[in-house]
Amino acid sequence: MMTYIVFILSTVFVVSFVSFSSKPSPIYGGFGLLVAGGIGCGIVLNFGGSFLGLMVFLIYLGGMLVVFGYTTAMATEPYPEAWTSNKAVLAMFITGVLAELLTACYILKEDEVEVVFKFNGAGDWVIYDTGDSGFFSEEAMGIAALYSYGTWLVVVTGWSLLIGVLVIMEVTRGN
Amino acid sequence: MNPPIFIIIMLTVISGTMIVVTTSHWLLVWIGFEMNLLAIIPILMKKYNPRAMEAATKYFLTQAAASMILMMWIIINLLHSGQWTVLKDLNPMASIMMTTALAMKLGLAPFHFWVPEVTQGISMSSGLILLTWQKIAPLSILYQISSTINPNLILTMSILSVMIGGWGGLNQTQLRKIMAYSSIAHMGWMTAIMMYSPTMMILNLTIYIIMTLTTFMLFMHNSTTTTASLSQTWNKTPLITSLILVLMMSLGGLPPLSGFIPKWMIIQELTKNELIMMPTLLAMTALLNLYFYMRLTYTTALTMFPSNNSMKMKWRFECTKKMTFLPPLVVMSTMLLPLAPMLSILD
Repeated sequence: MMTYIVFILSTVFVVSFVSFSSKPSPIYGGFGLLVAGGIGCGIVLNFGGSFLGLMVFLIYLGGMLVVFGYTTAMATEPYPEAWTSNKAVLAMFITGVLAELLTACYILKEDEVEVVFKFNGAGDWVIYDTGDSGFFSEEAMGIAALYSYGTWLVVVTGWSLLIGVLVIMEVTRGN
Repeated sequence: MNPPIFIIIMLTVISGTMIVVTTSHWLLVWIGFEMNLLAIIPILMKKYNPRAMEAATKYFLTQAAASMILMMWIIINLLHSGQWTVLKDLNPMASIMMTTALAMKLGLAPFHFWVPEVTQGISMSSGLILLTWQKIAPLSILYQISSTINPNLILTMSILSVMIGGWGGLNQTQLRKIMAYSSIAHMGWMTAIMMYSPTMMILNLTIYIIMTLTTFMLFMHNSTTTTASLSQTWNKTPLITSLILVLMMSLGGLPPLSGFIPKWMIIQELTKNELIMMPTLLAMTALLNLYFYMRLTYTTALTMFPSNNSMKMKWRFECTKKMTFLPPLVVMSTMLLPLAPMLSILD
């Protein structure tokens, strides 16, 4: 099973995305985001990015999703809409899950799948060996490069985060 | 809006586009598009009425979907070529996805449905930024990949855009929707020539931006948003009446005005590349555009539009709006045709 772990995690990733894309109330959507974040961390961990995976948990789930959860709790309604509340949400959820399951079975059965580009069976998702990463892990080297050679990228992303906050405040000011 | 916040947000809109135009890394292209999108949302929502909120939401949703397709394309390009540099050798199958994403950002048919609705819901100055500055970034990326675009896709989209821009604008009385359909049609002309001579696309973009800037500024000067209100311009500011006449003829692409330069150059380049039916179709459907520009001209400058008598005797107040750079813009949007031989420097 460990060779197929990335494939399984990717499938469950898509299913959790479907669970909040079928638009239940944001509280239930937040739960889907939580699961998606955890599984995303698992996928990144399987490719050797231990630091970034744990960053997902810390910053994304522990920071942003907590803020999202609190704001949703402030704006909640007495009867939030779950996945089985009305037929529309349930139908969207079932459609999404079915499409994902069919795709997964198709990938597992056939050797090659060509939708937009070629998948070589489950080859891209299967880890046969962790690879020789030398003395330093690639992911730590990438983060180091971001803060040394990639100063411009840090400036741009920092500025975008600041603008994100300013834009949200302007949009919700509402007078 | 609070002036320092407004300055910071405008700075981000400008730097987002500049990042897209000047970068050589595909990730920065995506980041630039997202910065641009995020920062322009409060500008679209300057007035806090539900119409503006709805317009800003529609704009955000369509542009975010286009950015997602762009990101998927960037990752597919990384998969195939193994590097992030902005070059023009794209995987031909995946360049369809790129063209689709950029067409959604530009408002080309069949992704044009958001343009009239968003332009109508926002204020005139926000609509100005939307229809001129926001076109620069996607067109610059299309310029960079222009040699590997699928010709069937781009020519279909451009012919459809010119047709829809023409027929869609016919039944409109709201000036912002007319300008939106005009923008769709001009985008169609620009993408038609992109495969054969991207320089002409830049020429068309420049002249289109100058003309649209002037048109919006004249509308803002009078605070008019409908044809009926524009038809009372003879009473408010008679000078603008004649300027609207000349400007609408220039937008329609009539010689001897500068709006004729891009159309002439585009038809010349297309016929040099042995396409005959396509420029014929483009020129004929551009006549539909000319019809509604002429309707604006007719009601503004050539007749006294029906109104009650009290609207024919207005107080003449001095206009307090600062329309900087308007006179040079008017001159540039109408009198550039004699400079057309200077285009030989492009060869």
